[in-house]
Amino acid sequence: MIELVDVGVELGGATLLRGVSLAVPAGARLGVIGPAAAGKSVLVKVMAGLIPPTTGRLIIDGTDVTGWSEEKLAPVRARIGMLFQNYALYDFLDVAGNVGFPLAQRGLAADAIGPRVLERLRAVGLAGSEFKQPSQLSGGMKKRAGIARATIAAPELVLYDEPTAGLDPVTTSKVYDLLRADHDASGATAVAVSSDVAGLVTFVTDVVFVYRGQLAYQGPAATLADAPDPLVRQFVSGALDGPLEA
Amino acid sequence: MIGERTLTLLGARAIAVTREVGGIALMTGQVLRALLPPRLDGRELVRNLHRMGNRSLPIVALTAFFAGGLMVVQSAPFVKRLGATSLAGWAAGYAVLREIGPILIGLMFSGRVGANNTAELGTMTVTEQLDGLRALAIDPIRYLIVPRVLAMLIMLTALTIIGDLVALVGAAVVAYLVLDIDWRTMYFSFADNLTPHDFFHGVYKSVAFGAAIALTSCYFGVTVKGGAVGVGRAVNAAVVAAAVSIMLLDFFITYATA
Repeated sequence: MIELVDVGVELGGATLLRGVSLAVPAGARLGVIGPAAAGKSVLVKVMAGLIPPTTGRLIIDGTDVTGWSEEKLAPVRARIGMLFQNYALYDFLDVAGNVGFPLAQRGLAADAIGPRVLERLRAVGLAGSEFKQPSQLSGGMKKRAGIARATIAAPELVLYDEPTAGLDPVTTSKVYDLLRADHDASGATAVAVSSDVAGLVTFVTDVVFVYRGQLAYQGPAATLADAPDPLVRQFVSGALDGPLEA
Repeated sequence: MIGERTLTLLGARAIAVTREVGGIALMTGQVLRALLPPRLDGRELVRNLHRMGNRSLPIVALTAFFAGGLMVVQSAPFVKRLGATSLAGWAAGYAVLREIGPILIGLMFSGRVGANNTAELGTMTVTEQLDGLRALAIDPIRYLIVPRVLAMLIMLTALTIIGDLVALVGAAVVAYLVLDIDWRTMYFSFADNLTPHDFFHGVYKSVAFGAAIALTSCYFGVTVKGGAVGVGRAVNAAVVAAAVSIMLLDFFITYATA
């Protein structure tokens, strides 16, 4: 589905990613973990085509899309849904407008969009919130509205950037339950960035660990705690002593 | 003797200004490219026309009324001393239509609409809303920037025309109250001495000022870095850049058409 080959990203003189090679097959669920500012969000933005790689290649469904213009990338992006770390809900639209926005941009009629928006809002537990403004929502509600928007057009690949950051444990569990149910039903490929390892491994099957812009570990989520790399083990256990710098 | 540190600071500032001017020029090119052919979101355009234009009307009208009156107050001692009541309207009208109207309304528009636009786009940038549009294969220039640039161009021009008329009324009211010049005298002073060229001279300027305010406010909004503090810095930079642009454009347009 999506492949990164020796990808490096430099922005403003800083190296954000280097030598990242990664393949995510169709239908896979990949978790991306790592310390703050390690390059996790940059990695998913490269996958979405929002940040062009400085070096290396981005391949989607066997097509090398590296260096493609925004216009040329448009049909590729139409197959991708994304939840942003800061929600990215549009201030100028209400909740229903935000959730239905991807469909409206695809030219669907308003009477076709309405029922799908209501169905998605019910699925994420936001029924009755359709006429609220984003500023009236709590953090958890914004995340769920973002998930509804990211998935309403049934994308083949969904990228979740910190789907549970800042949420309480109960809401976190609800969000992961929702993601599992959604992907069990759709079979879509998922890549989720999270610092909440315990919650993330209940959703994903494989994990990559990003450290200082490089992939320090790739492997199954089930055996993450026993990873050979002490960096990964320390990160997962939360131990204060170890090779990870504070 | 200029020290090495001073030179370094001057050089760094010159590079920063050049980068910003280049960025604004690049955005101008992107906006023009997005207008050929003109495919833009009509609802966004109407929404921006309303909030940028209609809601600015009261403050612009108030400013223009007193600006017109002020021109009469300033000229009152000379009008009284020389008994040149038939020229009171011309003096106020000439100053308002060609200079005071477009500049004051432009600065007012920049402070109210341009600053708000930068803050709004800056907040959208730091909360990843622009990336959110791009992720949905929507060009933020075409969807967000072009309607705002067009709305500011159209509305500043319209507000300047309305403001000019209100300023002339303000001049006539103050002339009546302060100098006891009747309405007829003021009307003929305007009509006999002012030409359409005086009016259009100000309108041309307002179009140029509108473009400058729109492009600088959008540029500083979409290039925000550093969260809420960055938004504040961007608003400050946009207002300063717009004010400087207005003064420079005013000088060059006046000089070129003198």
